[in-house]
Amino acid sequence: MAKPTGNPINDKLLEIAAQNNISTVWDRFMEQEPHCGFGTLGVCCKICNLGPCRIDPFGEGAQKGACGADADTISSRNLVRNAAAGAACHSDHGRDLAWTLLELGRGHVKDYSIKDPAKLKKLAVEFSIKIDGKGDLKIAEELGEVILKEYGQQEGELTLTKRAPKKQRDNWKKTNVNPRGIDIEVVQAMSRTHIGCDNEYKHVLESAIRASLVDGWGGSMIATDLSDILFGSPEPIRAEVNLGVLKEDEVNILLHGHEPILSDIMVTASQDKELVELAKKYGAKGINLSGICCTAAEVLMRHGVPMAGSFLQQELAIITGAVEAMIVDIQCIMPSLPEVAKSFHTKLISTSPKAKFVGMEHIEFHEKDALETAKKILRIAIENYKNRNRSKVNIPKEKMTLVAGFTMENIFYNLGGSFRPSYRPLNDAIISGRIRGVAGVIGCDNPKNESGLCHAEMVKELIKNDVLVVQTGCSGSACAKAGLLTPEAAFKFAGDGLKEICETVGIPPVLHTGSCVDNTRILTACCEMVKEGGIGNSIDELPVAGAAPEWMSEKAIAIGWYFVASGIFVVIGTPLRVMGSKNVTNYICNEIEPLYGGKWAFEGDPIKAAHLMVEHIDKKREALKLKPLICAKV
Amino acid sequence: MKKIYCNIKKCLGCGSCEIACAIEHSKSRELNKSIAESPLPVKRRKAEFVEESVSISTGCHHCENAACVTACMSGAMYKDKKTALTQHDKDRCVGCWMCIMTCPFGAVTRLREEKIVLKCDLCPDRDKPACVEACQTKSLFLGTLKEFTKICST
Amino acid sequence: MQYVIIGSSAAGINAIEAIRTKDKTSKIIIISDEKNPLYSRCLISYLLAGTIDGKKIWYKPDSFFKDNKVEALLGIKAEKINIKKKEIAIGNKEKIKFDKLLIATGASPKLEDIPGIDKKGVFPLRTIEHTTEIQSMLDKVKSVAVLGGGLIGLRAAYALKNRGKNVSVFVKSGSILSQIIDKDAAGIMQKRIEERGIKIFTGVAAKEITGAKSVDGVALDNGSKHDCELVIIGKGVSPNVEIAKDAGIKTSWGILANERLRTGVEDIFTAGDVSETNDIALEESSINAIWPAACEQGRIAGLNMTGENETYEGSLAMNSIEFFGLPVISVGITKPKSDRYKEIVKKDAGKNIYKKIVLKDGIIVGVIFVNSIENIGIIGTLIKNKADVTSIKDIMLEDYFDYGKIAPLIKKSKRGFKEPEFKETIMTL
Repeated sequence: MAKPTGNPINDKLLEIAAQNNISTVWDRFMEQEPHCGFGTLGVCCKICNLGPCRIDPFGEGAQKGACGADADTISSRNLVRNAAAGAACHSDHGRDLAWTLLELGRGHVKDYSIKDPAKLKKLAVEFSIKIDGKGDLKIAEELGEVILKEYGQQEGELTLTKRAPKKQRDNWKKTNVNPRGIDIEVVQAMSRTHIGCDNEYKHVLESAIRASLVDGWGGSMIATDLSDILFGSPEPIRAEVNLGVLKEDEVNILLHGHEPILSDIMVTASQDKELVELAKKYGAKGINLSGICCTAAEVLMRHGVPMAGSFLQQELAIITGAVEAMIVDIQCIMPSLPEVAKSFHTKLISTSPKAKFVGMEHIEFHEKDALETAKKILRIAIENYKNRNRSKVNIPKEKMTLVAGFTMENIFYNLGGSFRPSYRPLNDAIISGRIRGVAGVIGCDNPKNESGLCHAEMVKELIKNDVLVVQTGCSGSACAKAGLLTPEAAFKFAGDGLKEICETVGIPPVLHTGSCVDNTRILTACCEMVKEGGIGNSIDELPVAGAAPEWMSEKAIAIGWYFVASGIFVVIGTPLRVMGSKNVTNYICNEIEPLYGGKWAFEGDPIKAAHLMVEHIDKKREALKLKPLICAKV
Repeated sequence: MKKIYCNIKKCLGCGSCEIACAIEHSKSRELNKSIAESPLPVKRRKAEFVEESVSISTGCHHCENAACVTACMSGAMYKDKKTALTQHDKDRCVGCWMCIMTCPFGAVTRLREEKIVLKCDLCPDRDKPACVEACQTKSLFLGTLKEFTKICST
Repeated sequence: MQYVIIGSSAAGINAIEAIRTKDKTSKIIIISDEKNPLYSRCLISYLLAGTIDGKKIWYKPDSFFKDNKVEALLGIKAEKINIKKKEIAIGNKEKIKFDKLLIATGASPKLEDIPGIDKKGVFPLRTIEHTTEIQSMLDKVKSVAVLGGGLIGLRAAYALKNRGKNVSVFVKSGSILSQIIDKDAAGIMQKRIEERGIKIFTGVAAKEITGAKSVDGVALDNGSKHDCELVIIGKGVSPNVEIAKDAGIKTSWGILANERLRTGVEDIFTAGDVSETNDIALEESSINAIWPAACEQGRIAGLNMTGENETYEGSLAMNSIEFFGLPVISVGITKPKSDRYKEIVKKDAGKNIYKKIVLKDGIIVGVIFVNSIENIGIIGTLIKNKADVTSIKDIMLEDYFDYGKIAPLIKKSKRGFKEPEFKETIMTL
């Protein structure tokens, strides 16, 4: 039996798993304990075949790999490769959207359309496309081409980095990390970290920063913007969260993964009358879509599709016995799912040309016949309803409401009301001391920490201290389950200053802004706050901080790095795997701050981590000579 | 008498036992903190290379007729009457290195500065020694020689 | 059954413990001419040096005899053994009967027949009393002459240097520690000792100890005179065989013991510094007057006294010493005298590292490690088990040499490595 997760819903389903000899991530995690110390500390090097080599962290054994690389070189190179992989994921995500946009513009796809023409035009202008007199599709085609060119660009700089304040851009140029193109920086991160190439750890780490900037100000930002253009810019929307959203009497279909290209069309397909009828024919009352992981965020914020669970809950969702099909695309999909599904009727269908899974049916999804494929998949799911074994159904009762769908365009327009659509109200609230600052709490959930509970604890502590919290991904899901993403949460948990603002505007104290690529919305918001004025002339002067209390994926490393390099203090729950090198640890947690304005901190206790963020925000407030908090608590 | 055995056939020489041992004998008992301690914690177990793709994790064998106990002139190295384990009382140790001179396994570690030695104590604070729990291939085994022989033959 | 043990140092104590593992009830009587015998003889130089406190020297608890139900006759000398009547005459004319007897009378310091040796301020360093007496006069001592550059002499020199005295060591032979290490190793050790302020004079012997009642100096055979208030005689030890010899027990240099550690007489056993046994490296009868051998012999003799049938494989010369942070360990034959032996040597002068292995027909017979002593026990095991090390001879002196490297030899070995601890390797490699 796995260790209790501290979450009664999870624990109940885990009990069922144990009774049925189903192994879950918690069991397998325990089997891995203790995790390999060399790996944890980042001092295991598998880069070349002189090795694998490892450095003895206790000083007695080898201090150098066969080639002569020490802990500094090894851990920094490993970190670079992790960051590059993370950046590659988000950039590929953006690439697929750019490709879809291009194909749409070319008239090759029929099932998608431009949902936010205003944003399309705005973005086209940013990419120096002349839009006068051009139709949306023409603009889409040109924009798609220009963006894809930026992937292969070899010199110059990324268009969207121009959104960043001057100081950030100067910092990047000064430290030689300003990205030249998208793919080149990922490729070069790999080539530089080959055996016997880049060995001076500070120089090695530049590759991590460059590749990560490509993610934040490149691939991810493109992904966010194009998703809004193609699928519509989200608007605040009330929905439900947790495994209790599954329905006893409907065909339950889970959408799991990351890219909205698949999930969005699935939502459209699920409304097809013929399919709804088919569902009824099989005795179901309807089709109930819900999401897992970041896909959940994509369809939640645009369509109000309920969020069934986070990354860690993907297996548990199947264990409810009530899921007809789980449709997956890419990233964070556990290879264990087919094994879990063996005990139930659930069909697992993989769709991405990029990812196949042993034991899953693969129905490859392409933009050209998107709707048709989506319907085909749904039909399989519906037909599977008859196979549901009622005696195995254990849908938890628990669910929670949340308000999602905040974007950088709409959040503070909401704050200002329709008459003052600007960031002024937010900046003023910070200047006047009602809001202490803003914190982004993001990232995965991880059995290493509290299996999701860290997020809610940290966020409660932050809003108690009048810090407005913005969220993405599984962190948002964790806090939504704890009821923090409702306007009512302000009354229950927020400090008086923040409560006042939330009450006036009618927003939750914790704002859900999307999936993990949508962390760029936070970057954009920071830029807007700087532009609005009064709370700093660059991102690093803003009273803001970031955290990923339960990070686990390589994408989280890239995200952390682009925030740090963009001037933001980032606290993560378990250390980056560099602790085996005192130099690298000290560099990224201290010495790097004067160069970029941001730095890393590692703190496993969510409350202590929240306080590190509050202290940092206070330091920034002090530097800005802002007024003390109106409702300060000490 | 239960002690630690290594099934050489399964040992990958990964060194997880070494790390687990050092952490268990650190002040903080946490990986990330223990590597920053001064003095650094000292492992009492070693993953050793035997020959091409063969390794062994070795440490104190708590020998029946322990040469180190016989050689110890201060009484620091002794046989625990109840458990028959070879234990070391560092307060009695004078750093004469007689145990190092006689240990057939090289399982006694010398602390030059402190002038004492350290060796496997079978983790008195745990049910299972840290190295055995850390062993990813279950090459390390806690039990009697009879039990070990049995599991090796199956 | 009545066990009697003469001598209560390492061999005697270990014999008691061994007997009690098999026989919890029979009477054991121990006779010792020392009043407080439960100390570690090897630690007396540490005590003299002040590097350990007075408590540490007592390596067994005060209650040891009581705990083991031993009748201890302390401060009493065993005078005579009557092997026919199986009884021992002790100092007060009393007779002690025995069914099984262990003679563990140890050894005594060799006191050279030089004039003046009976003067006040001349000591060997063998018993705790010697230490106490030396300590009691240290206040008045500025300079010390140590006669002999062996283990005891140098340990005494080190101890007294540690006490702040001017110490000079006079070594008759050409180099220090000549009984246990070769000239190269001795050179490294001597350099370190001299660097730390002990004067060593090689090739010089004392002719006479001068002074009225008390010592005031040593006259040397090179004609010079050395002023000092204290003289330590460190000339080695000779076995206390007299009582055995007088009783008609077969002796040579020491009391001759068979592989059960029995003397030539039924029911009479011998162990420790007095017993002469097979030397594993030399493959001839010899005395290795060292603590580990005494303990091991005591244990096996004790077991055999209870009727067990334990075999003593023989002893091996081995010594471990450290002076001023520089350790040296030697085992077996370190200075081979014929060209049948081969030597492999590794030196690192900068690090004061010297390693030498002595081989005979592919089998290790001796080893010296200076300043890099880790894993020397593994070499010792190879000596004891007479393993053919041809296949590993190139790596034995490397820093990475460890147990793993000898595992294949253990697996292959037909005659050695019988201990249960090696089964893991033999079974799973």
